[in-house]
Amino acid sequence: MKKIILSFAVVLVSLVSMAQKPEYYQAMGETLGQFGTSKDVADFQALGNKFQMIAAAEKSEWLPLYYHAQCYILMSFMEQDAAKKDSYLDVAEKSITSMLEMVPAESEAFVLQAFYLVGRLVVNPMERGQEYSGLSGQALGKALALDVSNPRAKMLKIQMDMGSAQFTGQDPKSFCPAAKELLANWDNFKPKSPIHPNWGKDQAEGIVKGCE
Amino acid sequence: MKPEVLKAMRLFILFSLFFLFLTNAFSQTVITGKVTEEKGEPLPGANAYLQGTYDGASSGENGVFKFKTAKSGTQVLKVEFMGYEPFIQNLDLKGDTIRFNIKLKEAFNQLNAVTITAGTFEASDKKQAVTITPIDMVTTAGAAGDVYGALQSLPGTTVNGESGRLFVKGGDSEESQTYIDGSLVSVPYNSSAPNQATRGRFNPFMFKGTIFSTGGYSAEYGQALSSVLLLNTNDMPAEDQLDLSILMVGLEIAGTKLWKNGAVTGTLSYNNLQPYMSLAPQNYDWAKAPESVNGAVSVRQKTSKTGMFKFYSSFDKGGFKLCQQNLDAGGTPIDYQLTNGNQFLNASWNDKLGGKWAVSNAASFTNNADDILFDQTSVAKQIQGAHLKSVFSYPFSEKFILKMGGELFSKKFSQNVKMPNETHNNSFINHTFSGFTEAQIYASTKFVTRIGGRVEYSDYLNRFTLSPRFSAAYKITDKSQFSAAYGWFYQNPVDDYLLYTDLLKPERADHYTFSFQSSVNSRTIRAELYYKDYKDLVKLTGGEFYLPTSYNNSGSGYAKGLDVFWRDKKTIKNGDYWVSYSYLDTKRDYRNFPEEAIPTFASKHNLSVVYKHWFGNLRSMAGANFRYSSPRVYNNPNSPVFNGEKMLAYRSLDLSWSFLYRQHIILYAAATNVLNFKNEFGQRYSNTPDVNGRYPGAAIQPGSNQFYVVGCFITLTRKGNANQLDKIE
Repeated sequence: MKKIILSFAVVLVSLVSMAQKPEYYQAMGETLGQFGTSKDVADFQALGNKFQMIAAAEKSEWLPLYYHAQCYILMSFMEQDAAKKDSYLDVAEKSITSMLEMVPAESEAFVLQAFYLVGRLVVNPMERGQEYSGLSGQALGKALALDVSNPRAKMLKIQMDMGSAQFTGQDPKSFCPAAKELLANWDNFKPKSPIHPNWGKDQAEGIVKGCE
Repeated sequence: MKPEVLKAMRLFILFSLFFLFLTNAFSQTVITGKVTEEKGEPLPGANAYLQGTYDGASSGENGVFKFKTAKSGTQVLKVEFMGYEPFIQNLDLKGDTIRFNIKLKEAFNQLNAVTITAGTFEASDKKQAVTITPIDMVTTAGAAGDVYGALQSLPGTTVNGESGRLFVKGGDSEESQTYIDGSLVSVPYNSSAPNQATRGRFNPFMFKGTIFSTGGYSAEYGQALSSVLLLNTNDMPAEDQLDLSILMVGLEIAGTKLWKNGAVTGTLSYNNLQPYMSLAPQNYDWAKAPESVNGAVSVRQKTSKTGMFKFYSSFDKGGFKLCQQNLDAGGTPIDYQLTNGNQFLNASWNDKLGGKWAVSNAASFTNNADDILFDQTSVAKQIQGAHLKSVFSYPFSEKFILKMGGELFSKKFSQNVKMPNETHNNSFINHTFSGFTEAQIYASTKFVTRIGGRVEYSDYLNRFTLSPRFSAAYKITDKSQFSAAYGWFYQNPVDDYLLYTDLLKPERADHYTFSFQSSVNSRTIRAELYYKDYKDLVKLTGGEFYLPTSYNNSGSGYAKGLDVFWRDKKTIKNGDYWVSYSYLDTKRDYRNFPEEAIPTFASKHNLSVVYKHWFGNLRSMAGANFRYSSPRVYNNPNSPVFNGEKMLAYRSLDLSWSFLYRQHIILYAAATNVLNFKNEFGQRYSNTPDVNGRYPGAAIQPGSNQFYVVGCFITLTRKGNANQLDKIE
């Protein structure tokens, strides 16, 4: 019963806010729908452009900045050239900084910051490994401190632990039980609104698949 | 996510029906255009939109964008693309089609703008174009964790195995200065016996970035004729940790504790070469092997959002007793005993002031005492040095930055020599005051110039100097550039002369440097031509050394050469190598030289080949370093030709291996000169001739032909997954 009231309250709150900014919610919803069909750097750049436009129109909303940064982080993963990777991450960094100023206590914002730091690390793991794995771990720590149930924070943490285990000769599979538990409980986490971050289940499925 | 989004979209459609109904009442305007860069190449992916609305589109592959809007009246069109300045224009929307051709101007950004590389090697991981990185500084085989050892694999340097110090572009070792966080390190090397190699005092893992300038440096740096080494210490550590290093030659324990916006690190180390020396063959007899204790504390505190305060303090106590042949007494053995005490303090504070001003303040203090005992003679030398520095910088625009500052170098040097029948006490105090200003001007991202000047005044010598400095860089293509530097450089004469005279002028060197650098695809080539003109070098007139008039500034010299650097991280998978080659032609007439001659420390050809390979399946990093220096000259007093003898060429192949045993444990092994090349650094001779009128000599050998080290590094953290991998990959 409690759950029903709670979800009802959430729906009500989002309905009220949607009613206040129909154009914003419409634009966000449409643009988020294009995530699934975006495949390459150009697609994500076009998508990022839309979020940039929305961010410029809605100066007090953090979600357009969030998704704008996410597009550029994903672009950096798709790009081969190291200098270009860094230039995409420079763009992401700007949006993340503005976002964190806006919502300094938002767990999702720190998850994205951690994701961004992993992007920086991947550019040159030999040189940046030590520094950026530490920074990324710190950001995830903050994300979990703000919301211990955040599945994206948990997922990135498992991914990172498995990555460093490979490197140090530990058995990466020792993190498999945690990954399975995370996936099993994934849907228990309810985003605050339909346009709040809700990604990561595919990756969690990927991790669990890799365990078998 | 998808079902939720669909659900949400159904809601939005409901809401937007109302909205659409409203907007459809107006006619639509089509806005289209082509976005290109300055030369007319299309820019795909540019973002064109009406500011504050949801109407916009991205440009396609041909740079063309097109979108419709139901808005009317005056709106602002914004076209943005990363790396370019945004295009903004007011539009009056009337329901027709508006066409544009938009040329975007490349945005000026100091990060991707050209940088002055003439004479400079910068180690930093922030930029892609760097030639070496901080990790290279500590993973170069043969360097054995010595900053100066690692630098000797870069072009422009000459290996002097009997010294271990830096010799840059035909300059003597005293002509190089080391700065930590902006302030001078008066005594950067450990004390060593004559003709024995030394090492730097500082642990290379303390530093996050290094700039090694081999000439033509900024007006900010003075009191160095040949080179400056700028070391920047690490910022805030990530977490509490305890590091333990166990090597065959010593132990080190370091602990780091964090608090809000601050951290402290304490380090304690003990080194003793005795166990090692009794295992490995040595070329010299040590009555007491080198032994030292070192303690250090470092504090970092963020003082504001942009401000950082750093403090570092260390003390060292060390000594040894070496048995050498006394060539003046028929080769009878005598003991050379040295005890060294060194205290060093360093503090810096950087912050942004109100407006656009940025300030950096630095201070250092050194107290170094050497007590030497040999053949009934005791020598006590003490250096007390202080350095204060303030630098202010102000960006008038992103393209014009002005920097200015002032410095005070203070030095007290005293020497006490006690012989059985006589005692000499000498000392001097000098204050060098200096001020400098420098402007950095970007004409575009492709062209930058830096113009500056520096004045110095020494109160002991009562002399003023004025040093103009000029450098510029031009980017020919995205990946390659030319760079040039010119300047006058002054340095006070060495302490050993100032002890007896204040009648000297600062020595001077004029630098001309021209360099080319190109980096494509993780491959870098660099070539640098230089000429150095030495003036006012100190000469000894041949009079008694303690008379002030026995010294003058009539010396001179030159150095010219070509430095080539090639680095390739791409061709060999998991491998990375670089090749440095330096050609040096230098002669000088200074000190006790009877005529212009090649100095002992210069060698014509220097080659260093460094290779590193990562073996993923073995979790190991292997490194190799081959060095070659062509024969240097030395003086044989029995020969009529000054500096007429040639020593053996220097050759050494050094190997290292690091193995990540557990997540927090690294095992490390290294060996120098594995092919056992014979290395000898000429001969030393007696001060007085024997009964036959000849000066007896003895070969100067390295302490040992080879050096081995085996060690283990352990890192303990709360999380338990950090390691010292960055130390010795």
